[in-house]
Amino acid sequence: MSANIFPVQPEAILKGLGKLWTSLGEEEKQLGKPTVLRACAMTLIVATDESDAGFFASQTISELMHEHPSRGIVLAVSDTAEHGLEARVLAQCWKPFGKAQQICCEQIEIKARPEVWPNVGPTLVGLTAADLPVIFWCRHQGALSPTATADQKAGLEAVMSLATKTIVDNRGMELQSAFSFIADSQSRGRIIADLEWTRLTFWREPLAGVFDSSACGSPLSSFHSVEIAHSDPKLSASTVYIGGWISAPYKARVQFSKIDGHGPGVHRVTLRSETETIDFERTGPDCMTLRSSNGRSRQYNYPDADLTALMTEELSVLGPDPAFNTAFARSQELIRELK
Amino acid sequence: MSVLVQPVPEVNPLQDSLRFARRVPPCAVVIFGASGDLSKRKLLPSLYRLFYERRISTNFAVVGSSRTPMSDDQFREKMKESVSKFLEDAPFDQDVWTSFAQSLFYVAGDLNNPSSYDDLREKLDEVEKSHQTAGNVLFYLSTQPSHYAEAILELGKHKLNEGNGWRRVIIEKPFGHDLESARKLNEEIHKVFDESEVYRIDHYLGKETVQNILAFRFGNSMFEPLWNRRYVDHVQITAAESIGVEGRGAYYQEAGALRDMIQNHLSQVMATVSMEPPSVFDATNVRDERAKLLRAVRVMKPQDVPLYAVAGQYGPARVGGQDFPGFRQEPSVNPDSQTDTYAAVTFFIDNWRWAGVPFYIRTGKRMPKRITDVAIQFKAPPLGLFTQETKTGPREVRPNLLVLRIQPEEGISLRFLSKSPGSGMRVRPVSMDFNYGSSFGERTPTAYETLLVDAMAGDPTLYTRQDMVEASWQIVMPILDSWAHTRFDFPNYPAGTWGPKASDDMLARQGHVWRVP
Repeated sequence: MSANIFPVQPEAILKGLGKLWTSLGEEEKQLGKPTVLRACAMTLIVATDESDAGFFASQTISELMHEHPSRGIVLAVSDTAEHGLEARVLAQCWKPFGKAQQICCEQIEIKARPEVWPNVGPTLVGLTAADLPVIFWCRHQGALSPTATADQKAGLEAVMSLATKTIVDNRGMELQSAFSFIADSQSRGRIIADLEWTRLTFWREPLAGVFDSSACGSPLSSFHSVEIAHSDPKLSASTVYIGGWISAPYKARVQFSKIDGHGPGVHRVTLRSETETIDFERTGPDCMTLRSSNGRSRQYNYPDADLTALMTEELSVLGPDPAFNTAFARSQELIRELK
Repeated sequence: MSVLVQPVPEVNPLQDSLRFARRVPPCAVVIFGASGDLSKRKLLPSLYRLFYERRISTNFAVVGSSRTPMSDDQFREKMKESVSKFLEDAPFDQDVWTSFAQSLFYVAGDLNNPSSYDDLREKLDEVEKSHQTAGNVLFYLSTQPSHYAEAILELGKHKLNEGNGWRRVIIEKPFGHDLESARKLNEEIHKVFDESEVYRIDHYLGKETVQNILAFRFGNSMFEPLWNRRYVDHVQITAAESIGVEGRGAYYQEAGALRDMIQNHLSQVMATVSMEPPSVFDATNVRDERAKLLRAVRVMKPQDVPLYAVAGQYGPARVGGQDFPGFRQEPSVNPDSQTDTYAAVTFFIDNWRWAGVPFYIRTGKRMPKRITDVAIQFKAPPLGLFTQETKTGPREVRPNLLVLRIQPEEGISLRFLSKSPGSGMRVRPVSMDFNYGSSFGERTPTAYETLLVDAMAGDPTLYTRQDMVEASWQIVMPILDSWAHTRFDFPNYPAGTWGPKASDDMLARQGHVWRVP
């Protein structure tokens, strides 16, 4: 990894990137064989704020590049930016085990003072990789909160307007404003993803599988009630989403309850019909068990879905996500019903 | 309390094809030869991995069968050892294994003994109820090939080919040892199973990178216009192994490189590279095109065989300070063996697209390295404007080369010329690389995982059909017949080299040379 600081003009930054690749190619020239492979399948813009100090954007992007090589742009909005806006370029490289060639992705780190953020848009336009999707991962929680300042709202809008898709993480966020943000963005034709939804794939896939087969004596349509037990202090987005998802096809009744269980998030999903009850429960930190009153049961591993794993999945879905959209629409109804 | 506002839809409304893996229906998999090597090394690890990844239905069972007497629990313990040992690129999870093991059952029995099939039926009835497998059964013949026909006929006699759900049978290669035996085997199979229920496995077709050849050719528009006799000079398919026969001398002695690799794997790879685009990407259309291509391969006349086919056998050599025995010195091998451990063949495809373009295929054991790739050598530009600078002075430029690397470094490389920096118009070849592993860092499923899921899901696209098998036998039969009556002066290449000189001569006669992959 190497870095140089550049004035924040797209041409200068791109020139810096060019020099970086030339220097990486030096070894190749000396050895007379390919040693570096430049990889890029998208532009990934990650916006962070002061509260995100524990998050190492560069490291996460470098982990993501194994499956989603990208031109990474880290936009750190911070009071500590000395010149209003400053940038540096670097390359993240990794060498697959047993291979002679390094795979390298380029990364641009931009530090912006909060008042300058709204003006970053034109700079970013010049920095995105041509003809490839632009994904915006917004980790700037202040800009997503109901108390966002005008600069934050404008800054957020400046980046979202460039993006093919915007990814947020509503874990721990206040539900009403989180859902309003998604609904508002969708109404403007934008593709929004929520990592709280991504966290549910481990739940949704086996549950859906039950209705693929004859394991479940009853068809999904006969399950009239759904109970979701969670272990969060308040209802989380993921808890509501799973209720919305599973009840959407037939508008089954959904009840939420709080229990002490393995968390955070959903602990158990119970589906009831007149003749059968299905329980799908986290029975350990890394274990889930599906039980049906017809006697069948099965254990599943519950892998630790860290941010890299969640983003890896989310970056694989670049277009609209119909399942999320349906679940979200139903989740909004459930929230209204709860009031 | 119940609120139903819509009629029951035909498809599962909870399925999410964007994020969920392909689902397979409930079924029982019966493995004949369950204590054999294939079962231990490939089948059970693949099934466990599919279970771990939640790709197998909750209503699933494996019924192993072989002659060794064992209880269900002993079979589970034995398979646990194998799975933990042979699982590739994946963790072994005790909790998941415990759950998986509940779906493993065993029936001891001899394929020759009719009562074994009664026991099997009883076990299948039992798991159909206990594991709700919906009566679907996939039989996997992982036995000695000489037992295939017998086992299938017994399945028929005991009505195990019919039941409440679907019945399918997977057959491992070799599908016969020549055209006549392949036809006979197909006849026997069809007495019991319809062709649509027969899945002949060729694990090469399950490799991600072989499948990617289809995506590369038919998912992109820029290469297909060049994919013909106007632009392609010749094609080289190489499947080299650095190892010898590794204790399989007795088997290999009967098979040989031509039968073991070219008749099946490599002819299918050639068909994949050269077939016409299917009108629809489904099993029937894709397999129709592969079969059509194989039928278009020119069948050699006996007098052509010495010109277009070369047999080789490795001799002893010292490589990297280590002594390697020749084939004839391997255990269980006849010291006067005439078996080909190397085979190279020039095929011509007599259709409008490929007329006159040689397809060179070579395969061998104890070669310098393990590699399988397909190289499409494009024709030189009509005018040689540039020369290439080399250490020994300028020379004529080498034309474009597209290499589809199947293993081990899966990917695609395109070689083209670029101007060397500086004054003057000097050019040198550069390579544009796509590396499968680095662009799709996720773990790729093994060929057996892919093919097992396909068979359970009823998708035979990557399986070979009767007409494909017979067509591929048809094109190698003249070579096999000729070689059977030839006394070769073996060994004719030392271990650790790229094969006999006669193979280089075969290409030289066409003005070509083998690549060094």
